[in-house]
Amino acid sequence: MSQTVDMAVTVGATRPLRLKNPVIAASGTFGYGLEYGAQLDLAALGGFVTKGVSLKPRDGNPPPRICETAAGMLNAIGLANVGLEVFLGEKLPKLRRLDTAVVVNLYGEAVEEFAELARRLSAAGGVAALELNVSCPNVKAGGMAFGCAPGPVGEITAAVRAASDLPVWVKLTPNVTDPVGIARAAEAAGADAVCLINTLLGMAIDARRKRPRLANVYGGLSGPAIKPVALRMVHQVSRAIAIPVVGLGGIVSGEDAAEFLLAGAAAVQVGTANFLDPAACVRVAAELEVFCAGQGIGAVSELVGGLAA
Amino acid sequence: MGAVWAEVKENRQVGEGVFRLALGAPAIAQKARPGQFVMLRVAHGNDPLLARPFSIHGAAGDELLILYKVVGRGTRILSQVRPGETLQLWGPLGRGFDLSGDQPLLVAGGMGLAPLAFAARWLRDHGRQAAFCAGLPGLAGWEELTRGLEAELAGSVALAWSSEDGSLGRRGLVTELLAEALAAAPGSKGGVLACGPMPMLKAVARVCEQHGAACQVSLEAPMACGLGACLGCAIPAAGGGYLRACQEGPVLAAAAVDWERI
Ligand SMILES: Cc1cc2nc3c(=O)[nH]c(=O)nc-3n(C[C@H](O)[C@H](O)[C@H](O)COP(=O)(O)OP(=O)(O)OC[C@H]3O[C@@H](n4cnc5c(N)ncnc54)[C@H](O)[C@@H]3O)c2cc1C
Ligand SMILES: Cc1cc2nc3c(=O)[nH]c(=O)nc-3n(C[C@H](O)[C@H](O)[C@H](O)COP(=O)(O)O)c2cc1C
Ligand code: FES
Repeated sequence: MSQTVDMAVTVGATRPLRLKNPVIAASGTFGYGLEYGAQLDLAALGGFVTKGVSLKPRDGNPPPRICETAAGMLNAIGLANVGLEVFLGEKLPKLRRLDTAVVVNLYGEAVEEFAELARRLSAAGGVAALELNVSCPNVKAGGMAFGCAPGPVGEITAAVRAASDLPVWVKLTPNVTDPVGIARAAEAAGADAVCLINTLLGMAIDARRKRPRLANVYGGLSGPAIKPVALRMVHQVSRAIAIPVVGLGGIVSGEDAAEFLLAGAAAVQVGTANFLDPAACVRVAAELEVFCAGQGIGAVSELVGGLAA
Repeated sequence: MGAVWAEVKENRQVGEGVFRLALGAPAIAQKARPGQFVMLRVAHGNDPLLARPFSIHGAAGDELLILYKVVGRGTRILSQVRPGETLQLWGPLGRGFDLSGDQPLLVAGGMGLAPLAFAARWLRDHGRQAAFCAGLPGLAGWEELTRGLEAELAGSVALAWSSEDGSLGRRGLVTELLAEALAAAPGSKGGVLACGPMPMLKAVARVCEQHGAACQVSLEAPMACGLGACLGCAIPAAGGGYLRACQEGPVLAAAAVDWERI
């Protein structure tokens, strides 16, 4: 197999982010990147997304926080993170030295918090893009997730857009009836891309003990079990909007990644698969390259949206 | 770098539902320290999905030993793996026991034997003195393991057994052995190193506190990454917040743990 494949992709047009390859490690499964430094060559990644950062540090939920399900897992970590100060002071200086795209995932409890985070992260330098986690509870709206309606998603996106010149990616929740309407709201408010999907709300029960398996009762389902739902949403949304979609949900192999690109994703993220092998992202990228070469494809970007009619 | 494939050299029943697994994993075996663990995938493919955490039971040359009990689907699948097959794992992970204290007192309940037998052999190999209290349900089904350990440690580590049915050593709980040992040697210079079920560890922490002995415990929590990244393995910390069992632990100072919230 001597044919070389051009693995580079560009996400976004107005504020383009060029990636060495389309494989990005997903938020919450890759820590602040540094945890994986001994496990793989971080420079071999298209990029990675940090654990969601908030203004104040958060301890997270009581344990148990995770449990395994059929070909998947549930998590209710509770958005635990070191907080913006520690992120800027201790994590970001090390991340700046890495030769890969560092995308910072962030969330707030109010629109102003998203804007404040975006402003300070942009000013700090070394951040390739911002990813807004809108699946978190909106405290002022009684705790309902921002991401469940177009209005709040548009508001957050617009506030961040005004506060930052960085590419803004809006990470959408699949726990909605109309993902297209919400993606359109993000696009209209100035998002550079949308990422989908975040985890599906689920539950697991220990029948013998008559108890939920997670202390939080409900948690987010991820892993291979959710891939068909994720593919459907990427397909649906990418046809309806002009900005790129970053696809994720259940990717464990290069061929899975190819499926998302065909469904319309401009790049992909790999989450739970990092728990099957800490070097999963590098393997997925390598397998994707082999897949392209095997199909006689010269540039991976040719796959994007290439689903036969 | 990432997970390695290791050949199964041995996977044999050595006790009641307890198996010893030997893996050809030179890079991990060479770095392994007592109290550290590995993340082991029990099957290829996507189901069961997550790797299982197992303490390192021993490391000799290129071989890594794991001592495990069949408790659920993953360990049942693991018990059927044959020599010659390959499994994926990564490690060694986490912070192990601090073995620098003079004449430490090792306390194991049930599968807590897995890491503490490694610690005892390590102390023996470094010409150190130690005492080892180990509790099991009874002798039946555990003959091979107990005899093996006695033979290995003879002359270097003083081994005392307790069993619930009285068929092995003293009848009762291992914490009773511990309380006696601490009463005989107040302040126990080298401190106490413990691993076992959570109720036992709680009791060990309490007994050590009463006797003013420093105590390290190896704790379990559900894990996904084993690398400090997913934050799934939270252990309530004394003074609030959480510690990561895979990163700050699995061996923690008993005083660092909030036992009320566990
Ligand atoms: C640091 C550490 C060291 C360990 N060392 C050993 C050892 O040396 N020998 C041994 O027999 N066991 C050990 N365990 C426990 C072992 O990980 C579990 O018994 C095993 O994961 C059970 O898997 P299963 O599929 O059979 O059980 P299931 O109950 O079917 O597992 C379902 C899920 O829950 C998780 N889980 C279940 N029980 C535990 C547990 N006690 N701790 C953490 N996760 C759990 C599993 O990993 C899996 O993801 C250790 C655990 C930790 C955290
Ligand atoms: C343990 C865990 C923690 C996560 N934390 C975050 C987070 O902080 N912010 C976020 O936007 N998504 C978070 N996610 C969601 C993932 O980034 C991803 O959207 C989801 O898991 C689906 O992809 P996957 O099937 O490849 O894992 C988390 C997922 C897991 C499993
Ligand atoms: S197992 Fe992932 S942080 Fe400990």
